[in-house]
Amino acid sequence: MSRELHIVGFQVGRETYGVPITSLHEIVRVPEITAVPDAPDYLEGVINLRGKIVSVMDLRKRFGEKQAAAKRTNRILVVEHAGRLAGLIVDSASEVLKIPADAVEAPPAVFQEGGLNCVTGLGKVSGRLIVLLDMSKLLAPASLVSKGESEDKKTAAKAGAR
Amino acid sequence: MSNSPDERGVELRELFYETSQELVQALNEEALKLEKNPADEEIVRSIRRTVHTLKGDSAACGLRELSELAHQFEDALSLESAASHAAVAEIAFATADIFSEMIAAYRNGTKLPATKALSKKIQELTSAPKNGKTRGKKTAGKTSKSKESTGKASVSKLASKADAQWTEYERLAMSKAQASGQDVLHVVTKIDAHCAMPIAGRQLVHNAIGTMGPVIAVRPDAKSPAAAKFIEFVVATVQTPEQIAAKCKIPTIVEEVSVEVLLHANAAPQPVEPEASSEAGAHDADAATEMTLPEPSTAAMLPAGSIPVPQENLLRVEAGRIDNVLNLVGELIIGKSMLQQALNEFTKRFPKEALRGKFADAMAFQARVLNDLQRSVMKIRMVPVDQLFRRFPRMVRDVARQCGREVELAVSGQDTDLDKGILDAIAEPLTHLVRNAISHGIESPEERRKLGKPSQGIVRLNAYHQGNQVIVEVTDDGRGIDVAKIRTKAFELGLTTPEEASKMSELEALNFIFRPGFSTAEQVTEVSGRGVGMDVVQSVLHRLKASISVDTRLGQGTTFRLKLPLTLAIIKALLFWVEQRLYAIPLNAVLEIARTFEGEVHQVDNYEVLQLRNQVLPLLRLGRPAPEGDRKTKLFVLIITVSEKKYGLIVDALEGEEELVIKALDEQTFSTDLVSGASILGDGRVVLILNLPAVVEHVARLRPQEMGQANSGLLLTHTDRMRLALTPEVGGQV
Repeated sequence: MSRELHIVGFQVGRETYGVPITSLHEIVRVPEITAVPDAPDYLEGVINLRGKIVSVMDLRKRFGEKQAAAKRTNRILVVEHAGRLAGLIVDSASEVLKIPADAVEAPPAVFQEGGLNCVTGLGKVSGRLIVLLDMSKLLAPASLVSKGESEDKKTAAKAGAR
Repeated sequence: MSNSPDERGVELRELFYETSQELVQALNEEALKLEKNPADEEIVRSIRRTVHTLKGDSAACGLRELSELAHQFEDALSLESAASHAAVAEIAFATADIFSEMIAAYRNGTKLPATKALSKKIQELTSAPKNGKTRGKKTAGKTSKSKESTGKASVSKLASKADAQWTEYERLAMSKAQASGQDVLHVVTKIDAHCAMPIAGRQLVHNAIGTMGPVIAVRPDAKSPAAAKFIEFVVATVQTPEQIAAKCKIPTIVEEVSVEVLLHANAAPQPVEPEASSEAGAHDADAATEMTLPEPSTAAMLPAGSIPVPQENLLRVEAGRIDNVLNLVGELIIGKSMLQQALNEFTKRFPKEALRGKFADAMAFQARVLNDLQRSVMKIRMVPVDQLFRRFPRMVRDVARQCGREVELAVSGQDTDLDKGILDAIAEPLTHLVRNAISHGIESPEERRKLGKPSQGIVRLNAYHQGNQVIVEVTDDGRGIDVAKIRTKAFELGLTTPEEASKMSELEALNFIFRPGFSTAEQVTEVSGRGVGMDVVQSVLHRLKASISVDTRLGQGTTFRLKLPLTLAIIKALLFWVEQRLYAIPLNAVLEIARTFEGEVHQVDNYEVLQLRNQVLPLLRLGRPAPEGDRKTKLFVLIITVSEKKYGLIVDALEGEEELVIKALDEQTFSTDLVSGASILGDGRVVLILNLPAVVEHVARLRPQEMGQANSGLLLTHTDRMRLALTPEVGGQV
């Protein structure tokens, strides 16, 4: 009687990631995004989701990709966390996966140090590896701020160099 | 009515917490009055009524400690031989404090404050303790009449609240009935909470009472929600109260009945009432008579609303529900602009179509109704500032006493309406300003006499409408702020250089008192007289998109003027483009729109400025830096005012004016303070609303040497900056 986890899988770069289906609100095409000044670069801006203002984060940039080209398959995963909605831009959203709970391994310790503390585990489905994400960590203001600051410094350094 | 008793208890308590605040407030006000007119017995009675209501209410909620204390105090007050009334006022203040502490403790489930010292004081007030005991019996006697004490208390609560609410017509009918030899009885029936059809039950009770004599008044109105809980009648009859009570007690409908004699028949001698309740009845009747008899002088002396009378046409609604309606109205406004846009397109495509006029008419009509709707909903949220101002007399008295000042508080404009949310938010800043005015502004009585001022200082609270804003002023006639000292201090703290300080206008120098850190230095508060926590005041006002200005004259006094928006939800805004993105700013911050050329922009100290007529305005370039060598490009400059100072915003293009429904950005993800909110336009686009004070501050914070072209590019995102940095012909022109 092993429990199964229901996971929505999506691609960012070459990897497949997964979030629990319960935290997903909906998946939408990428609409026009209004950029917000003074925000870290992986925060794309805000969108109008049927009259609600939802902030959108580019997961590709969040995971370190520098140039993220817009593609037709791009989607926004609207997730609900702690009563608020947030959008995540992904390369494509593919499938709903059922992973037995015992097929999930704890993330390697190196992830924790590398600023990727939003990974809760690695799931194995028919030979593929799914990186499971923890919404609360991904959207936690603390992780965003520290990341944002380091980005700020980088850009500042760049600007200075020029 | 299917709520479990538990739920009802919780509901009742919530209601009590709300109403009790008002009662404590009323108690404070009455005590203040008593302090001024110690001989006025009417005030003592009014205090007693307030305490009585509080007692009944708290007992109904099972808050034993509070009701006991209230009871004790009420007893002490009901003695005509109570000690000097000044002492009563003192104790009333202390009691009010303890009450509010207790209420807070009940609410938060924390430990109750100690009441021993207070009850001792109250006992001292009671010169004849025997009498107090009989009063104690009185309650006991009354209790025996009903099954449970809580139930009784709730009835008595209803009764006591109702005392003042008879109309003139009803009072007239009462005295007529009295003259014709009938007793006028006040009957309160509590409808059984489990009664399936309370409204039908109500009719049954009404009929039953009708058989006893003419019914003069019925409360509450059948349509009011309270109608299902209790009914009050005033009936003129020759029957005894017991007979009435027996008649009314209809099983399964009426839980309990209490009958009081309001007016005894004139002809008959005072009948000796049977039963233990007689004394209570007589006593309560006395109290009631005082209120019901048309006594214009007394009525005039009671400030309107000082006793919370449950008026039938008054609703207590959760603020969240109103916000919900306001949100929906906001959506409708978005819908309206969608329609408007569709119509514009339609007009363009079919300029000759006759249907166009019909559409336009219908839309104009809809727009008008929508406007009214919006205003009405916003009005629901509006409350008179009096709700806030009435807290101050007590505070002023206490602070003045602490600081050894003689202060009179003058309040005006208390009918001015303000959004409830804003009112709640400014309570703290305003308290702070008033406290400052007394402790730092007003001089000690001796000093004032030496200066030739009356020894009593005046602190004035004023509120009024001005255009789309509400102004709240705190004025004192004290020593004023010494601007020279602020300059010195600002220099000492390294906030400015002596040259800068000397160039600064008085207004600019005064702005230093709002700087965080500036206020905490102790000498400053002593020499300049202002400061502690002024940055807190400022930050609250920033959040509200409100501003504050100071007006001071050395030796004559200071005025702090808060300019508050009427509402937080909807603003008229000016929309413009910067870097292909749409932004909005509140229209009331815009003074004018100027058009100019790049060539007209001058550089002073690395700041860009513009000469407009005979003024020099600092410019804020929101987009990318000015392209070098280009002197012909046309520019739009929005002239704005932020805290009394003018700035020019350089924008790329203008879009127009629109009503925006403000929606909050997710503060947890966007930590920026440049943007105060977002809104959705008719075509679904999202527009960001700029927070002007923050924008101005951002520029001011950058020192010239660090910035190069610092007053540009504020609204660029990181991606923009990177892009610009990569194309040197546009960006890197330092």
